[in-house]
Amino acid sequence: MTSFRYQDEYTTPPARQITPTTIERFEHVFEVDPSLMTDNVAQQVFPNWDTKRIVAARWDHLAWIHTHFADSVISGEELLRSLDD
Amino acid sequence: MTAVLEASIVEQLVAAIAPVLGEANVLTSKTARYSRARVPAPFPVHRWAERVPDLVVLPGSTEEVAHVVRVANEFGVPIVPRDGGTGLTDGAVPERRGIVVDVKRMNLIHEIDLENRTATVGVGISMLKLNEVLAQHGLIYPDNPASYPCSLVGGRIGTSGWSLIGSRYGHSRDLVLSFDMVTPTGDIIFVGDGGGRKISKSSSGYQLKHLFMGHQGTLGIATTATLKLYPKAEAEFSAFWAFDDYDVAYKAVGALARAGIATFAGAVLFDEKKVEYLRRDDEAYIPQPESVKALVCSVGYGNSDEVAAGGRRMMRIARDLGARYMGDEISQGDWASRHDRYATPVHGRTLSGQVALMSWHCEDAAINYTDLPAVTREWHAIVEKLRRKHDVFDDWGMFAYTSSDTGVDYLTEIDIGIWEEKLDDTTWAAFVDAKREIAAVSLKYGGSISACHGSCREGEVDLVPQELGGGYDVMLAVKRALDPNNIMNPGKYGLDRAYDNEGDRR
Ligand SMILES: Cc1cc2nc3c(=O)[nH]c(=O)nc-3n(C[C@H](O)[C@H](O)[C@H](O)COP(=O)(O)OP(=O)(O)OC[C@H]3O[C@@H](n4cnc5c(N)ncnc54)[C@H](O)[C@@H]3O)c2cc1C
Repeated sequence: MTSFRYQDEYTTPPARQITPTTIERFEHVFEVDPSLMTDNVAQQVFPNWDTKRIVAARWDHLAWIHTHFADSVISGEELLRSLDD
Repeated sequence: MTAVLEASIVEQLVAAIAPVLGEANVLTSKTARYSRARVPAPFPVHRWAERVPDLVVLPGSTEEVAHVVRVANEFGVPIVPRDGGTGLTDGAVPERRGIVVDVKRMNLIHEIDLENRTATVGVGISMLKLNEVLAQHGLIYPDNPASYPCSLVGGRIGTSGWSLIGSRYGHSRDLVLSFDMVTPTGDIIFVGDGGGRKISKSSSGYQLKHLFMGHQGTLGIATTATLKLYPKAEAEFSAFWAFDDYDVAYKAVGALARAGIATFAGAVLFDEKKVEYLRRDDEAYIPQPESVKALVCSVGYGNSDEVAAGGRRMMRIARDLGARYMGDEISQGDWASRHDRYATPVHGRTLSGQVALMSWHCEDAAINYTDLPAVTREWHAIVEKLRRKHDVFDDWGMFAYTSSDTGVDYLTEIDIGIWEEKLDDTTWAAFVDAKREIAAVSLKYGGSISACHGSCREGEVDLVPQELGGGYDVMLAVKRALDPNNIMNPGKYGLDRAYDNEGDRR
């Protein structure tokens, strides 16, 4: 069971080239193209759950910053629509 | 380079200080000293050992600070105030070694005055921690630098800091009402607008508060400060717009800043190089079409109805100039990223496009609106030349950010990635020359070398007398009068010139 999960976590989904210098493995999670990280930096081996955890933690952090400074956030999309009303 | 103090003198200093501060608050270990030798501004790390203090003290009160300063005078040993240690002009770096006075232990909230809307705090507190407590009362202390989570009130006083929402609430100099401080001779004085602790405007006597803010610890150590509080905003509005070219974005940022919107808290212009840089690594910009060449962001805070009305006006101004709104997710998320987007990338690109670990350097001039395009061009040319010569630097683009509610001047920032590990004496000298050229451009256009951090670093500091003219001579006279032994953060701002024995250890 454990070894199955381990393998699962360390097998990344196939990469899709997004721009000449970036790839995407998980939806909306962009990574620097590994071919640009060969000369000067060593890449860390990362389980998939950790990638997802970091992304989720980022969203938590952004939400926290909003509430830290103001009680609510006004939507620009709604204001833009109201310009045409 | 200053020699380390003889062990016997260090022992005598410890013997004089420890009985008052307590032994646990006088540190001589290598880790305690080396970790207070630098700030985040990149520097040639092979020279780290040149600026390590002889000892570190952690006073717990104004009286304890005064005691340490008196001892330093008696022994003629340099003393360097240090708070968060995030300052970017090397202010907290002990260039002449001596005693680092780390004020972080003085971090209590002494009083929250709900009626007069003030808080009195020890200068070792961070704005973030203070605001967690103030939020329980519906209040906020809105000094909001990008270093918000880690810079502290004493450092904000020492640098006279700049706030991201300063166009709405003012900057550190407006928000700090008064403070107690210890002068370089160990006297305790109170500095404010006139005499009262909670006075925001007085015409009584000289306006000393400004003198004792932004001096980079060369004129004393602030210990307890009284701060001006605001109601925590009911609402926040932030919008990011994309533009096909820089010139239109430049027009838009000017129009937004000049619109006189009461809830307006700041507007930012991102130039083409910044967009290019963001496209490399930033999830919001990687998928943007090639047509996006420049960005503008504008922000408002206050009561919900007023923020909505102001936001609506901002949306109209931008739309009329052909801006494309980037949507709520990017607009809200990117604004919430304001405290880490600058410094955390920790990597840049060499000329071949390969990733290298790089630290963040930031130039931070104050430039008038009308000069932004010319300064932007000239600064990029300087960095490009540097980069072509030494492949350890990277141009991370420029921001121009309103400093006030009228749009008169902008914090103008070029971010430079520096492969710090590779900095040797040659590349460092080239960088210092580039910094000097960058500062010269700011002065050529009638600007100031620094809007936020101060101008103490190699390169820029040479031009401070030119920037201030006769005012610099007044600085020398003030320094000499208040610090007769040149013990308070010596070596900064070229103030050794105030003494006959220029360059002495003291
Ligand atoms: C990621 C990042 C983003 C930043 N963004 C901003 C920004 O948006 N706006 C801005 O203004 N700055 C910014 N800075 C720079 C820095 O955070 C500020 O200059 C801040 O005011 C320094 O506070 P500190 O507590 O870290 O002070 P320190 O670095 O410890 O000290 C700064 C100076 O003040 C002196 N000093 C310290 N304590 C005292 C005291 N009690 N009395 C007298 N002098 C004292 C020191 O000797 C030194 O000269 C940024 C830095 C980083 C790393």
